[in-house]
Amino acid sequence: MGLLGQLLYFSVHPNQLRSILQWKIWHEPVHTRDPKKETANQRECFKYLDLTSRSFSAVIQELNPELLLPIAVFYLILRGLDTIEDDMTIPLETKEPLLRDFQNILETDGWTFNGNGPDEKDRELLVHFDVVITEYKLVKPEYRAIIADITEKMGNGMADYANNAEHNVNGVNTIKDYELYCHYVAGLVGDGLTRLFVESKFANPALLKRPELTESMGQFLQKTNIIRDIKEDFDDKRRFYPKEIWSKHVDKFDDLFDPKNLDAALNCSSEMVLNALKHGDECLFYMAGIKDQSVFNFVAIPQAMAIATLEIVFRNPDVFKKNVKITKGDACQLLMDSSTNLRSVCEIFKKYIRRIHKKNTPKDPNFLEISIACGKIEQFIESIYPTQDPKKLSLLHTGEIDPDVEKKKAEDSEAKKDVFFLLLAVIGTLLVISGLMIGAAYLAGARFDVAFDEIKKGKIFPKFDKGSEEAQSIVNQHDHGEL
Amino acid sequence: MAPIPTPEKEKLGKVIVIGGCGFLGHHIVDLLLEAYKCTISVIDLRTTRNRRPDSDNVQYFDADITSLSSLLPIFEKIKPHIVIHTASPAAIGESSESKTKLRNEMYRKVNVDGTQCVIEACQKTGVKGLVYTSSASVISDTEADLINADERWPVIPAKNQLEYYSTTKAIAEANVLAANRSLASPSLLTCAIRPAAIFGEGDMQLIPGTLAAYTDNKTGFQLGDNNNLFDFTYVRNIAHAHLLAAYALLVTTQSPTAPLDHEKVDGEAFIITNDQPVYFWDFMRAVWKAAGNDKGTDHVWVIGRDIGLVLATLAEWGTWMVGKDTPFKRRIVRYSSMTRYYDCSKAKRRLGYRPIVSLQEGIDRAVGFWLEERKTAGEKKGQ
Repeated sequence: MGLLGQLLYFSVHPNQLRSILQWKIWHEPVHTRDPKKETANQRECFKYLDLTSRSFSAVIQELNPELLLPIAVFYLILRGLDTIEDDMTIPLETKEPLLRDFQNILETDGWTFNGNGPDEKDRELLVHFDVVITEYKLVKPEYRAIIADITEKMGNGMADYANNAEHNVNGVNTIKDYELYCHYVAGLVGDGLTRLFVESKFANPALLKRPELTESMGQFLQKTNIIRDIKEDFDDKRRFYPKEIWSKHVDKFDDLFDPKNLDAALNCSSEMVLNALKHGDECLFYMAGIKDQSVFNFVAIPQAMAIATLEIVFRNPDVFKKNVKITKGDACQLLMDSSTNLRSVCEIFKKYIRRIHKKNTPKDPNFLEISIACGKIEQFIESIYPTQDPKKLSLLHTGEIDPDVEKKKAEDSEAKKDVFFLLLAVIGTLLVISGLMIGAAYLAGARFDVAFDEIKKGKIFPKFDKGSEEAQSIVNQHDHGEL
Repeated sequence: MAPIPTPEKEKLGKVIVIGGCGFLGHHIVDLLLEAYKCTISVIDLRTTRNRRPDSDNVQYFDADITSLSSLLPIFEKIKPHIVIHTASPAAIGESSESKTKLRNEMYRKVNVDGTQCVIEACQKTGVKGLVYTSSASVISDTEADLINADERWPVIPAKNQLEYYSTTKAIAEANVLAANRSLASPSLLTCAIRPAAIFGEGDMQLIPGTLAAYTDNKTGFQLGDNNNLFDFTYVRNIAHAHLLAAYALLVTTQSPTAPLDHEKVDGEAFIITNDQPVYFWDFMRAVWKAAGNDKGTDHVWVIGRDIGLVLATLAEWGTWMVGKDTPFKRRIVRYSSMTRYYDCSKAKRRLGYRPIVSLQEGIDRAVGFWLEERKTAGEKKGQ
């Protein structure tokens, strides 16, 4: 969109512009990293973080200093793995041992890799990977153990997929396979992050006892990306929609992109959305276990973006033509609303859930199931932030509280309070102003003692001109009264 | 969904199902036969409909529960361990005042007096467990929303209850629960099941009412914004809950120690839902769809709640003046635009309740049954 286009767009969508400006002007990070206090190597790391991640870089950099570098390094390591796995120009003989051995590579000082194809967008990261390794070795040993463990699991998982010819030709088969794939690319990351949060005491240790909550966090994000990116992936000859789902709607995967199959394609996409929505309540539950504000923002922002993305892709024909994205204004609004507390994140979820429900149509084979999935998330939110209070309702019925009387009482006391504060304000202002005036007069030499005595004598209104002789004599009398 | 209770059938001993030829009652009889080891007797006003074949060995007794003398001989003959009391007239709004009066009189007679007779019969014949079918409407005044309500929500007292049917259910429920370990008969344990908006095969209200809108081509209206979640419960899940409760009561009587407060079943009421609240009109549309409707929502006119109430008032007055009745009532507008869903965690915790049939499956079965009925009715007419 050119500048003119943007101007036109914002002139009819002022709210979008407002959100963007508000975010840019008022956003105050909980923590800001200070490049001046960092080593040259650390600054290098953040350079590659900016280079390789568009969405995560900003939230990572606002993390609590305790976790800032561990998580930045964790991200870069996984990104490095991903860059090797993704690159189809690397032969399997080279790729597999690298993936399986990556946790040991992390211990090798000075290790770099320039075997990526020239088109690989994150090639630079691996060319300078020694920087990441240097920083990794400075991370606290407890955190490092967690990072190494996840790296090993993910590397092996990726190697299994790279080896799996069937997966590479036909894509994902069953829903179980699909969720396993999401586990390797996202669930594991979530697992590592949760352990880091708990280790640093920024999250409730109970989260470790409910691993399905962490898993849902990762699954929800990954599934949303897969649903959104279907066209992009298809153009790259990759398919992540499980056959178990798409084969219910079309015979061949390619048929999804044929406009004459649009209805079937939309039903397929909405079944994918339904599958993702199942994680919604567990994501909210997970976030209730986070204790640090910066960590909360770090986990909540991507979830808020994900629910908004699910809404925009839901029954949207454009998904099969291009990459559909939430608008910049909406994204800024979500950033603002989600980086606060669980209650506002719940509000975001509720808002987008209801929009999904509005777009749901009986023509969809999963119509009722989608409605139920939306209802389930709403019910969960209600269970943590109840609207109704049974105790109050009971009092209402026993007549101990009459709703009308109660309302009137509240209004009355409110009104009384208002009057009280209004009076207080008026009197206060008067006192301050008189104080200032009297003080100023005193400093300028006013004789209040004289005035006071004159008033005591009943002469409230002096019958002589100011500064006249008569006035002067009164002052003199006063000053030398005892003479 | 979980399979029906356990592979090893639980024993319930001798069971009487009161109202066992009714809508819910005959589903309870079916489930008892399928999933439990027990001998079954049924008491109903008329035992001609919904009868099991003789090979199932279900004994049927015609009796009027409002008369103790009619009940007692049967109880004395059977000596039941468990009594499941589901008998209740259907809750239907009436048009004219005189009709309403008659109907209310019947509600009181059957629900309050009848249930009292059942309690006395149980106490006099050493019954161990009595499960009473109450209604989730005892905590609804038909106007205020119920948002994720559970058993802590207050039962609406008579003066605030706009639906007399619910008042009588609430009184009967209180009487049943008061009879638990009472002085009159300390060995009798009781509990109440409160189903939320029951539907299923043979249902006379929800499914036929909803489908009438479809056959009359009235699917193009929506009252309210349809953000109101609602619980609809498939009949077999409710039957399942009754039997779990009956079994729990039996286990309690056999246990040497009294149960802890947080796991108590006797003397308690349980809200039972499908645990799948949906938006009100989505349920309607799912029912229409199961009956063959292929329309989306493009043709739907949305009438806001307030405007709907005004229109309904006008319709009620208009038809009253010409001496007719309208199906478009304020009551309907309120009902279809209110939020009314529950949290059935207590039943899950204490009874081990989980719905055994999903909402979609329940709708398919109920509508399939209705379509079949209509076909046979059509054939009969055609002959």
